[in-house]
Amino acid sequence: MPFNQKPQKFNAKINAVTIGSGDKTVTIGGENSFPFYTFDAPTENTAKIGVEISDLGLDEFSEGVKAYYEGATTMAEIAQKAAAIEGADFVALILDGGDPNGANKSIEELIEVVKEVAGAIDCPLVVEGCKNVEKDAELLPKVAEVLQGRNALLLSEKEENYKAIGAAAGLAYNQIVGAESAVDINLAKQLNVVTTQLGVDAKKIVMNIGSAAAGYGYEYVVSTMDRIKGAALGQSDNMLQMPIITPVSAETWAVKEATASEADMPEWGSADERGIDMEVMTAAADLAAGSDAVILRHPESVKTISKLIKALA
Amino acid sequence: MFKVTFAFEDGSKVEAFANAGDNLLEVARGANVAIDAPCSGNGACGKCRVQLKGGEVDSKKTLHISDEEFEKGWRLACMSKISADVEVLVPDIASAYKSRMKVADLSSKEEIAIFEKAKSQIEETGIQFRNSLEVVELQMAEPSLDDTMPDVERLTRALRKFMNLNRIRVPYAVLRKLPDVLRASKFSVKCVVRVTPNDMFVYDIFDSKEDVIMGGLAVDIGTTTVSAVIINMATGEILAKSSSGNGQIRYGADVINRIIETTKPGGIKKLQDAVIKETINPMIHEMCRSIHLPENQIYRMCVASNTTMNHLFAGINADYLRTEPYIPAFFKTNSMFASDVGIEINKDAHIIMAPNIGSYVGGDITAGALVSMIWNRPEFSLFIDLGTNGELVFGNSDFMMSCACSAGPAFEGGDISCGMRATDGAIEACTIDKETMEPTYKIVGEPGTKPVGLCGSGIIDVISELYMTGIINPKGKFVREGKRIRHDHYGMGSYVIAFEEEAGSSKNVEITEVDIDNFIRAKGAIFSAIRTMLSSLDFDVSMIDDVYVAGGIGSGINMQNAVNIGMFPDVPLEKFHYIGNSSLTGAYLMLYSTEAEKKTYDLAANMTYMELSTVPTYMDEFVGACFIPHTDASMFPNVHQR
Repeated sequence: MPFNQKPQKFNAKINAVTIGSGDKTVTIGGENSFPFYTFDAPTENTAKIGVEISDLGLDEFSEGVKAYYEGATTMAEIAQKAAAIEGADFVALILDGGDPNGANKSIEELIEVVKEVAGAIDCPLVVEGCKNVEKDAELLPKVAEVLQGRNALLLSEKEENYKAIGAAAGLAYNQIVGAESAVDINLAKQLNVVTTQLGVDAKKIVMNIGSAAAGYGYEYVVSTMDRIKGAALGQSDNMLQMPIITPVSAETWAVKEATASEADMPEWGSADERGIDMEVMTAAADLAAGSDAVILRHPESVKTISKLIKALA
Repeated sequence: MFKVTFAFEDGSKVEAFANAGDNLLEVARGANVAIDAPCSGNGACGKCRVQLKGGEVDSKKTLHISDEEFEKGWRLACMSKISADVEVLVPDIASAYKSRMKVADLSSKEEIAIFEKAKSQIEETGIQFRNSLEVVELQMAEPSLDDTMPDVERLTRALRKFMNLNRIRVPYAVLRKLPDVLRASKFSVKCVVRVTPNDMFVYDIFDSKEDVIMGGLAVDIGTTTVSAVIINMATGEILAKSSSGNGQIRYGADVINRIIETTKPGGIKKLQDAVIKETINPMIHEMCRSIHLPENQIYRMCVASNTTMNHLFAGINADYLRTEPYIPAFFKTNSMFASDVGIEINKDAHIIMAPNIGSYVGGDITAGALVSMIWNRPEFSLFIDLGTNGELVFGNSDFMMSCACSAGPAFEGGDISCGMRATDGAIEACTIDKETMEPTYKIVGEPGTKPVGLCGSGIIDVISELYMTGIINPKGKFVREGKRIRHDHYGMGSYVIAFEEEAGSSKNVEITEVDIDNFIRAKGAIFSAIRTMLSSLDFDVSMIDDVYVAGGIGSGINMQNAVNIGMFPDVPLEKFHYIGNSSLTGAYLMLYSTEAEKKTYDLAANMTYMELSTVPTYMDEFVGACFIPHTDASMFPNVHQR
């Protein structure tokens, strides 16, 4: 009997969300099949890769990453080099320095960094806050304001501060709202519901459903993404049809496999290699589970994942 | 040594002595001063507020006390250490749980009607309302020099002749009064006896001219509240009723905290005393006084309570209930007598207990299942007992399945800043105008009673109305602004139902985001348990034919609002039936009718117990249900915001 292929058809699809303005934009989502199931339906928009840079400069980055940015001293130069990485689709600026428990930079200082980066590159821009919900509630609306016209994606609006960030980014300044929840399908949906109830267009929301480094409770991430895609496509749940972006690097570069020095762990081999491996493994798994975009740090990781996407999509 | 004086709003005072560094709440407990501490003194609930009247305490400031209140001397008892002589005011609200509470205890007309209906339904199934207690009248020949039989022999012979039984037991208590009663009555007596097919137990003996009432005591021991009735065992008539807070509350609001408390030295005894000596015995005395019935004329007692409560009542180590694999000491016992546990009724009185079926589904549920009549219908019914633990039974005449979830004390007004039980001053129903956001409410008590707080049904109404009028979002956070909506300096929103001027207490009656959040968790626990249990049977909510709701939340519960907030499944309203305090009703039936008692044992043996904590999807269901009405709105097609 000949093999008779029956594609799995869904009547629903993931929203296509375009980030950026002018000639250089990227569109994520839009698919009506599971990730890389090209035998069911052609891939609408391939998964996209963002390159992480931080307002704290390069100090916290690994030797390999630093080596790539060699010579770049200003944030503008760093941003330009990031955008130039082979396979990069957008730049993700993290305003780590705003953390009240860390450098605690003022909002004005951070806004200057945002302006400098935005002025230096014309590729699509993602801006992440400092992860402190109170500070972000003040910071991200300001970011939304100065980036008017850029159609940037702002990460992250959370349950605690969705009103301030959702209203500023989604309503007042017409940016894309990144809705972050903690690895739980119901919490992800609940945040989307309340955000849309604010009046934010569901098609202007991208989800960050939470992430982890592979091996660090990562099964929950896979299961959550998988079920979100299943509900979005299979049950046409329009409160889960937002594309998913996953900041991978912030997780993977913080685990011991990436941070342990070669002096401490000689048998583990090159620290840089290990960091790349963690980043690549996690990102590949995220993409296979349903992420429409990932944020990475190391140029090698970006290159590798970009190849993977091209090969499979 | 310092002197600690507890002053009450009625002017009375209690004095105690304490060492420097002693915890004020512990000192209060030691002095038997009731201060509500649902969190068991962790500083988490903010209910144990007292006001300094003189002296000082070494007290940490907490989120529960505002700067202004701190200035005025308000402190949390659990966060205060003795450092000098001190006098504190214990406000009524802190001790209200003991004195002023009223639960579904058959005291209102509606509750009595519900009770009578349940009783007649049970009778219609053919269950005989008869028990083994009887009053028998005897006339004996008076002794003489020719007839020198001792008194007890005389009595047993007369009884044997009368009843034709081979074994008759006369306990010491009867023996002691026997000679005098016989002679005073000229050997014409009435005996209260328990008759089983071949043996008889003589509880008491009276002059035959006396009117003898055989009392029976049915008690529902809830985690939060205890209610009881004394009945006439011959007629089934309810002679007296009473309810009270469970004295164990000061050792924690939930069963787990209480079990932990029992693991401390002397803990088992302490918890047993709190429920028996401080709660049930005073209720017995109060009831007996009101009907002029001597305590020792209560010859049988039936207890319906959850598994932890009946372990603590019996003074049996409950710690193994708390830890895996969660094993109770007993499901069923018939070897307990009043004198064993110190219940102050006839010391030979038998204590029967509604049987447990699992570590967290206890006798209150089996008693309730009896009353719900699920077991007698072909239709699928869901029985929900809303208490500190929410328990569910689903099934019909062919099968029954049961599970329990931890809802916390929210339904009884606990865990809610202005929560209270359904007593005078409690707002029990509320509507809110969509445009003006002004509330209209109904208060328990005489007309003109001022609002003091919210009881369970009031909380359901307020949250439902806040949601339906778009004042809060489905997460329970405030999204509209107005004069009744306020935010504290941490940004936490609240809705004022009655301003201080309108309220009968020193502060606004308001509901905060934290309250709403606590309530959403409680309702989420209930709804997710319903969903999880039904889906384990491959049922969905549309297959439920009837829903029976029981519990202290009161007959005032508005089922539509309970559906609106996603606490109960979205099924037509006519399917909901409120059946009152089914645990107490069940205890009454078991006490009065031997057949009902047997039936309850049968039901328990045939009920399947499902342990929700071992179901992997329960947590998912729970998070999904912690949203108004539900994360999956398609489960509530008839709920639409106004």
